[in-house]
Amino acid sequence: MERLLELLEEIRPDLDFETCQDLIDGHHLNSLDIISIVAEVEDAFDVTIPTVEVIPHNFNSAQNLWDLIVRLQEEG
Amino acid sequence: MASYFSPQYLALLLPASVLLYAITPQRVRRVILLLASYLFFWAVSGSLIVFLLFSTLSIHHLGLWLDLLQQNSKAELAQAEADQRKALKAKAKKQQRGVILLGVVIHIGLLLTLKYSHFFFTNGNTLLRFLHMPAILPIPSFLLPIGISFYTLQAVSYLVDVYRGKIQADKNLFRLALFLGFFPQMMEGPICRYEQTAQRLWEVPKMQWNNFFLGSQRILWGVIKKMVVADRLNMFILSVFSGYDQYSGSVIALAAVCYTVQLYMDFSGTIDVALGSAQLFGVALPENFQRPFFSRTISEFWQRWHITLGTWFKDYIFYPVSMSKPMKNLTSKARKRFGPRYGPVLTSSVALLCVWLCNGLWHGSAWNYIFFGLYHFALIFAGNLVQPLVIQITERLHIDRNHLAYRIMQTVRTCILVCIGELFFRADGLRNGLKMAWRMVTNWSFSPITTGNIFAYGMDGPDLILVAVFLVLLFFVSLAQERGVKLGERLVAKPWPMRIAVYYIAICFLVIFGAYGIGYVPVDPIYAGF
Repeated sequence: MERLLELLEEIRPDLDFETCQDLIDGHHLNSLDIISIVAEVEDAFDVTIPTVEVIPHNFNSAQNLWDLIVRLQEEG
Repeated sequence: MASYFSPQYLALLLPASVLLYAITPQRVRRVILLLASYLFFWAVSGSLIVFLLFSTLSIHHLGLWLDLLQQNSKAELAQAEADQRKALKAKAKKQQRGVILLGVVIHIGLLLTLKYSHFFFTNGNTLLRFLHMPAILPIPSFLLPIGISFYTLQAVSYLVDVYRGKIQADKNLFRLALFLGFFPQMMEGPICRYEQTAQRLWEVPKMQWNNFFLGSQRILWGVIKKMVVADRLNMFILSVFSGYDQYSGSVIALAAVCYTVQLYMDFSGTIDVALGSAQLFGVALPENFQRPFFSRTISEFWQRWHITLGTWFKDYIFYPVSMSKPMKNLTSKARKRFGPRYGPVLTSSVALLCVWLCNGLWHGSAWNYIFFGLYHFALIFAGNLVQPLVIQITERLHIDRNHLAYRIMQTVRTCILVCIGELFFRADGLRNGLKMAWRMVTNWSFSPITTGNIFAYGMDGPDLILVAVFLVLLFFVSLAQERGVKLGERLVAKPWPMRIAVYYIAICFLVIFGAYGIGYVPVDPIYAGF
């Protein structure tokens, strides 16, 4: 989770990823940020995020994104 | 029946459907909703209802076909050896891709044929003439069924979601028919997803007084927006856009602002009627607007304006293109070459361009709509490029980007950019749009405004004051909504006498100030034409 937070802060240093729970619903992240996050996460955690998983819920908070990564790693 | 604002809809179809829905048992309610939906479609588009029926039947069949292929694939995989699985999965995906391609070709092909063939063939002839060849392409002309641009996107999203395994194919043809043809969403959306509305519609919830009042209030609010503000501005906009060469730049600029206001009041008002109508039946359709003129950037504006179209393009064009294997590889290379910030900006611009070309074309088959799309692409792309620079500069100058003054400056800038885009959107062709923009730059004069001459162009002083007062009211309503206040629910919770007084005032306001009767021409909802 720490690695994820570092990675997110590199992409958007102006956001507080530890506390923000409405990154998408609150219009804090745009689609370009999502593309960057997906690319970084795929490289860093060796997972493939399918398009169907790119939904607001999975990107609304760092914790939700972490849950997605763990789930994708478990699914192999 | 012309629209949701016609007496036939507001005084006949909607109340009759609600009444029948309220007094009949659950199983019959579904039939009433479906019959009312088809009656509405038939009343607006007549025999063109066959297109809706064809779309319904085809997505039902193709969905079941996909489902069958998925079930077969699962069964085969369960029995297969580990080393065979990869090949079997690829084979199954290929088959399913064939079905989804067929579905997309049928539906988008039908939309392209009916809506765009005139545009493509006309431009084809122009190209032939340019090449000194005879213009031999016949120019077709088709009648468009109501809402085809909206229900086609719903149909495609259903099929793609089944293909992706996000939803299961619906075996029930009537549930699918209701999802695709539900009358409050038919004319201007919102563009619903299957998982959002299909089951809720099929459950046909019991009518509740709370929903009845909330829905009725919202319908009234939508009718006021459309008839008091949007339709009132129509005469002025019509006269300036049709004879712009007689007006100075300031009048054209005012017309662009008025058109932006008209479009918002018209479209959001229609969506209020649509959502309010659905709420009467206890069905919550997705919101399509979230106070777009509070946006600080163009990108944010499109997250708040016509939300369901934006999310459709994002889910079915932007992400599939930008997350495809070749694009991911390109992004990875670009990140190494241009850095983690600019790399994705450059590569995602390919997907962004696809989205905005489609967005422009979706609105209409003319060059000014394509220009409108490219204009927003350029603004968003430029915004993404300069964002890090802006952050650097503001930090160096110790400017607080969350300070109210800075936020207001961003919001005003966004509104101006939106108005410029709407000028091209409304113009009668791209050439006229460019001429109008040029006239704004080269022929600017405040005299029509300062001398009051502007009131001779289809809008008098009281009209302008009324619109301004309503916009101030709307600003405070929006501000409260932005802060999470649910005004509709608060009103419903008030004692009866107070509610009746508010409803009475609102109805009187509509009757007195609505733009109808002598001197006004009924205006069809703008987005119904798309």
